[in-house]
Amino acid sequence: MTNKQQATELAVPTPDAFQSGALVTDKNRRIIYANAYFSDELNWDLKTLIGRSSDDLFTYSSKIFCESYLMPLLLHEKKCEEMQLALLDGNGKRVPIIINAKMDDHGNIYWSFFNASKRDQLYEELIEVRKKLEAQAKVLQSLSSTDELTGLMNRREVNLRAPEVINQAKRYVHTITLLMIDIDYFKKINDSYGHLEGDRVLKELGLRLKTFGRQTDLIARFGGEEFIMLLPDTDATDAKLFAQRLHKLMLEIEVNNTPVTISIGITMSDGSQDLEDLTKQADIALYKAKNNGRNRTEFYQET
Amino acid sequence: MEKVVLIKVIKNMQNAHDVIKKNNVNVLGSCAKTLLLAHGFGCDQNMWRFMLPAITPHYKVVLFDYVGSGKSDIAHYDQARYCSLEGYAQDILDICEALELHDVIFVGHSVSSMIGLIASIQKPMLFSQLVMICPSPCFLNFKPDYIGGFDKADLEELIDLMDKNYIGWANYLAPLVMGSNNSEKLVGELSGSFCSTDPLVAKTFARATFFSDYRHLLKEAKHPVLLFQSSEDALASTDIGDYMTEQLPQAKLQLVEAQEHCLHMTHSDIINQGLRDYLD
Repeated sequence: MTNKQQATELAVPTPDAFQSGALVTDKNRRIIYANAYFSDELNWDLKTLIGRSSDDLFTYSSKIFCESYLMPLLLHEKKCEEMQLALLDGNGKRVPIIINAKMDDHGNIYWSFFNASKRDQLYEELIEVRKKLEAQAKVLQSLSSTDELTGLMNRREVNLRAPEVINQAKRYVHTITLLMIDIDYFKKINDSYGHLEGDRVLKELGLRLKTFGRQTDLIARFGGEEFIMLLPDTDATDAKLFAQRLHKLMLEIEVNNTPVTISIGITMSDGSQDLEDLTKQADIALYKAKNNGRNRTEFYQET
Repeated sequence: MEKVVLIKVIKNMQNAHDVIKKNNVNVLGSCAKTLLLAHGFGCDQNMWRFMLPAITPHYKVVLFDYVGSGKSDIAHYDQARYCSLEGYAQDILDICEALELHDVIFVGHSVSSMIGLIASIQKPMLFSQLVMICPSPCFLNFKPDYIGGFDKADLEELIDLMDKNYIGWANYLAPLVMGSNNSEKLVGELSGSFCSTDPLVAKTFARATFFSDYRHLLKEAKHPVLLFQSSEDALASTDIGDYMTEQLPQAKLQLVEAQEHCLHMTHSDIINQGLRDYLD
């Protein structure tokens, strides 16, 4: 071979020279061209490959991905880049690949395939790590938003979530109710029967509030022996009934054979006040309930 | 009394406005008959663009994106709601209510055919007809009685494949960011905005679509159904088309000589013609 001949051959390399798969399909998805990569690296017999549907090259999962993403994208934007799918080689073995493809005006598709075995391995590991991290994040999130003793939301979480409930009330023109609940003579329970007994009462109350509330209610331990409930779409009549039932529910929690009682302060809003305003108002009502003899509910009234 | 009525009107307007934004609802044409076009899993309402020039002069065409797809407002995404097709059906019902639509001719591609069926059974009054393009009531195999086309392992692999593709889209770790309520940041883009989807959203939709079995609903259909089926569709074999036609109380099957699953994109002329012939 002369130098000149060599130079000419190099000047016009054929697609067979590339270390990647090149494939052309017609508008009916029939393979009309495949380069030597398919025979050399993917064990396909080129003769049997020509005329087959490109669907035959993909695993089942890749077929779904193709129909849901790749094909619509090609039809819409005429090209697609860097999609990872799994190809079947001539022996039916899975080969992870990266696909770039382009569609011309006649619906012919020009496919390029790149082996992605090592990248696939890395991705597998990444997926595993993410799964672990996700599980950890979930635990941390729940720890940071939950009151450990009662399992209710903590103050931090209710501060985060209340604005949405309040905004919704404003948007959809309905009334929300905020209840501030305080256990009567809690200090006495602690002092006379010990902190463990106090904790038990808190837990029992927490459990009852949780089962008593609706899914959309925000129920939290606000601090010490104080609980709050933010009830969306609840008017004064509903709130009154709700409080009555809560008082009744307390008969189930006893210390030294005597039912524990609670005082409740209630305020209503159309969503124009923030949580801080509302808790202040409910607090005023709560103190009224305490001053009026405890084991009762008072509504906040504007002066 | 007047105040109550006024509040109700305001509420309705607010609701309509919210839904239009939430589902990126677009209304084209102004004719009497309403076509509601529902995109399938993977992409968004742009899928319908090939059909639009021929239908907008004759119908009022309502387009939308399911929450989590396309240009919908992802802030409204609720994983619990969208983990089954009923959640997506509620999007359809929300849109019908917000736009005060009735006698809707529902056109769904792929999984949206079943979503439309669910919606139409829940609120039959809103709909008049259903059109299904390349539908399947169940992608899973229940051998030997029913061949949906895929084994559970294939579908698990699909979820895996989706994961692997999202890794390259730079938002792979985004779902791990704690306390982030700014979920718009999570939107990844496959290319342009056509297939833009959050990885979690897309996987949830994939699970709801490919792991579900709604065969039992076919018999409950309350409206006449027109089915378009590809002669060679990688996702739904002709057996599935036959099965559906047999199970649906009132169905007409039109077989289209094609290798595609997106007939509304590749064979929009045939779909448009079939639609007109059937509806007129």
